[in-house]
Amino acid sequence: MHKLRQADLRGLVLPLALLALWYALTALQLVNTKLIVPPGAVLATAWKVVTGGELLAGLQASLLRDLAGFTAGAGAGILLGLLLGVSRPAERLVGPTFHTLKQISLFAWLPLLSTWLGTGEAAKILFIALSAFYPVALGTFEGVRSVTRAQVEVARVLGFTRRQRIWRLVLPAAAPQIATGLHLALLYAWLATIGAEYLLGSAAHGIGSVVIRGKAGFHVELIIVGMLLIGAVGMVLNRAAAALEARVLHWRGPGHGSGH
Amino acid sequence: MTLARFKPFAALLGLAAAATLALALPSAAQAQDKPKIIRISYSGAGTGGRPITGGTIISTAHQQGVLEKEFARDGIKIQWTFNPGAGPATNEQLANGLADFAHHGDLPIIIGRSTGLRTKILFSYTRFGSSYITGPIDSQAKSLEDLKGKRLAVFKGTASQLALGRILKKHGLTERDFKTVSMDGDTLRAAIATKDVDAGFIAPFDLQARGVGKLIYETGPDPDLTSQGVFWVSEDFERKYPDIVQRVVTTLIKVAAWSSDERNREAQYKLWANSGTSYYEYQKTFADTPLKWRLSPLLDDYFVDNLKKSIVQAKEFKLIRRDVDVNGWLAPQYLNAALKELKLEGYWPEFNAAGKPKLAQK
Amino acid sequence: MNTVSTSAAPTAGSSAAYRELGAKHATQPGLQPGIQPGLESATHPGKGARPTLHALAAACGARILALAAGLVLPLLLLGLWQYAVERHWLAEQILPPPALVRDSLVELWQNGDLTANLAISLKRLGWSLLIGGGSGLLLGIAMGISPAVKAYVYPSFQLAAQFPVIGWVPLLIIFAGIGEALKVSAISIAVVVPVAVNTYQGIRNIPRALLEVAAVYRFGMGQTIRRLVLPAAAGGIFSGLRQGVMQGWLALVFVELLASSEGIGYLMVWGRQLLQLDIVVVGMLVIGTVGIVLDRLLAWGEARLQGWQRRAF
Repeated sequence: MHKLRQADLRGLVLPLALLALWYALTALQLVNTKLIVPPGAVLATAWKVVTGGELLAGLQASLLRDLAGFTAGAGAGILLGLLLGVSRPAERLVGPTFHTLKQISLFAWLPLLSTWLGTGEAAKILFIALSAFYPVALGTFEGVRSVTRAQVEVARVLGFTRRQRIWRLVLPAAAPQIATGLHLALLYAWLATIGAEYLLGSAAHGIGSVVIRGKAGFHVELIIVGMLLIGAVGMVLNRAAAALEARVLHWRGPGHGSGH
Repeated sequence: MTLARFKPFAALLGLAAAATLALALPSAAQAQDKPKIIRISYSGAGTGGRPITGGTIISTAHQQGVLEKEFARDGIKIQWTFNPGAGPATNEQLANGLADFAHHGDLPIIIGRSTGLRTKILFSYTRFGSSYITGPIDSQAKSLEDLKGKRLAVFKGTASQLALGRILKKHGLTERDFKTVSMDGDTLRAAIATKDVDAGFIAPFDLQARGVGKLIYETGPDPDLTSQGVFWVSEDFERKYPDIVQRVVTTLIKVAAWSSDERNREAQYKLWANSGTSYYEYQKTFADTPLKWRLSPLLDDYFVDNLKKSIVQAKEFKLIRRDVDVNGWLAPQYLNAALKELKLEGYWPEFNAAGKPKLAQK
Repeated sequence: MNTVSTSAAPTAGSSAAYRELGAKHATQPGLQPGIQPGLESATHPGKGARPTLHALAAACGARILALAAGLVLPLLLLGLWQYAVERHWLAEQILPPPALVRDSLVELWQNGDLTANLAISLKRLGWSLLIGGGSGLLLGIAMGISPAVKAYVYPSFQLAAQFPVIGWVPLLIIFAGIGEALKVSAISIAVVVPVAVNTYQGIRNIPRALLEVAAVYRFGMGQTIRRLVLPAAAGGIFSGLRQGVMQGWLALVFVELLASSEGIGYLMVWGRQLLQLDIVVVGMLVIGTVGIVLDRLLAWGEARLQGWQRRAF
């Protein structure tokens, strides 16, 4: 117990030291305070901007977009992963294309998508959906493939219909890998949300756009506050997804999963 | 029993039929002679992407709300789209059929026409403006040659790129002699302030006032180097609603007359300053030439000749791949009718191909 | 706490998840994960029947069939693309015909633009892999070996790791400008995180027994690292490298689209600004190809590593 508390505190040393260094550098005017803004100023701006509402409104817009894209992409991903996993012919036909297109780095899609759909919501949401689609599809495919012959036999013996087989055997068996895929997709989706906002301009609503406007207007405090918020959301999403993933694995029980 | 299996399928079919009918009906009813909405794209935006601009008569018209007033009695809405992505973004909107009218720079619309986008030029909106190359406050460069191999920023695909090309050509240089980066206005200003680029194609005045920029090169109002812009209507819209086009043109030319009146100079700067660019900068950039020259909407010899030259230059600088035919591109009848109706014939001086006024200045 | 099961919730950046998915999809598409016929016989040369001509032909035929099946969808999509162009589903200015894309690809290749920009992008990636990968490796080893270092650094590192790489960019632009420094630093950050995390976990998962063996042999620090830690954690390290490369490539494309005067991302910006969407598509094809090549290279490397590991024991 004592050891635990000691480790906790030691982890704080580094960030506190950096914070102190930051404060010292700006207080002693050793750096260009226009660039490296004092922590006090950042806090002040943070307060002003958060209570001002612009930042929170932007955050809300970004999160909604993220949710919409994520849901669409994850849904499509589960469907395709299921198809590829269950049907060998489908996997033969679609698999190679799927795996090849996966290699096109995510952001490379954005110029084309935004040309076709404009810089409005449609392009962004589609892009976010794309980012969530691949991890989920892969995870589902992986999970479905890990269903063993024995389990399928049991299902046959129990007289499951096709639909029952999918709902009551395949999907639950694949749940851990699907959960992992969803976890990754959540991270990628947030990445895509912010990235799209950075690349598609400063006029729209969104936390990324707020940061870009800050960069254009050279308000470093705004950038820092925006970044911290973006990072915070990323962390929260990661924690939540990890917790859910652990839940799913726990529900599946020890010894199950991908055979580890 | 077997037919019952098709029940859901039949329902789907019925739904599809109903949907198709629903979609078909409005288009049948659309053979009207009035659009419900007029969509105008502006190849630019204010600072931070705000939907207020300055520097052209179209910005003035937007802020004065004249088109909204003109078409209010017909129940036609005006939809303005301001593009921080400038000319290239307007082209994409045109390609997607999302723009009826637009304010557009020469290079982007030449590019657009070269890829087959169909428009009709109604009038022009700028000429004889000076071009500037600005650098960070501590820049040592005194001329363009000093910047060779250094990072030069310009918004690619816009009129600025062509203007830069003309300037470089005059000095025997090309874009490849520099490390050219593409940046929009806001980004460019910030980059100069933080010394991220060695120079940029942008006016220096605001930056100088803030103490972060320095003028490196300026062309002055040189008719050979200046950039001109156009206001166009899509061929589709023009074919369907020529009378609406005429009304739009007439309304805008009236604003142009107001804008070109020297008595309104200050008031106009004030309006334009709402875009985020300062009064001071407009004051400096519009100082050199009479407003009637800068803001002339005429499609005179100078305009046509300059347009043809620009097309040749665009091809030379490899900014377009196919040739562009000017025939049938201009639709001066609307402008002429507007000038007649508003009794403004001769108000703006006509310029010959060399950029000199044809007649004595009024 | 140290049981290697997927129920251990991934700590930073869901590296365990990455490892699972990433490693499994290193294999050829279409093959069952986990079964690698080539390796099987390579590492157990006496086992299994000698492949007969009949079996060989059957295998070849199966391969050809798989290839043909895999080509069906791409050809269909190509046909659909051409059809869409002819039927003007999208304006021709924004939906370039396949032929134009092919011609542009050839043209850019021949006039050197493509190779020049690609070389610049790859150079950036290379430097970032060196810097980011190297620091990640050092950091991971330090955290893995020394509990003290881990206690001080790991929590902060975990925090920073969960920060989307892209979030760093505006701040980096303010500090590093938009030149090479920005690109390399942004991409390096993207590489550091997976490498460090996976290295650390790879080391953490070294069985106690091996460490005790090292103690018995009285290995010094250097020897321990060289002869025990690195080989034992090699799987984890390599997995980290794999993810690092992919994350780095992702960050590279993003940064080049955002602010660059050269590189493959810049080529796409250039194409878009001049309404030459075929160049944008060419850029996408090239990026995809590089992605494939990188993936295959890493898969090959990992297979060699696994083979070596198996043979070692």
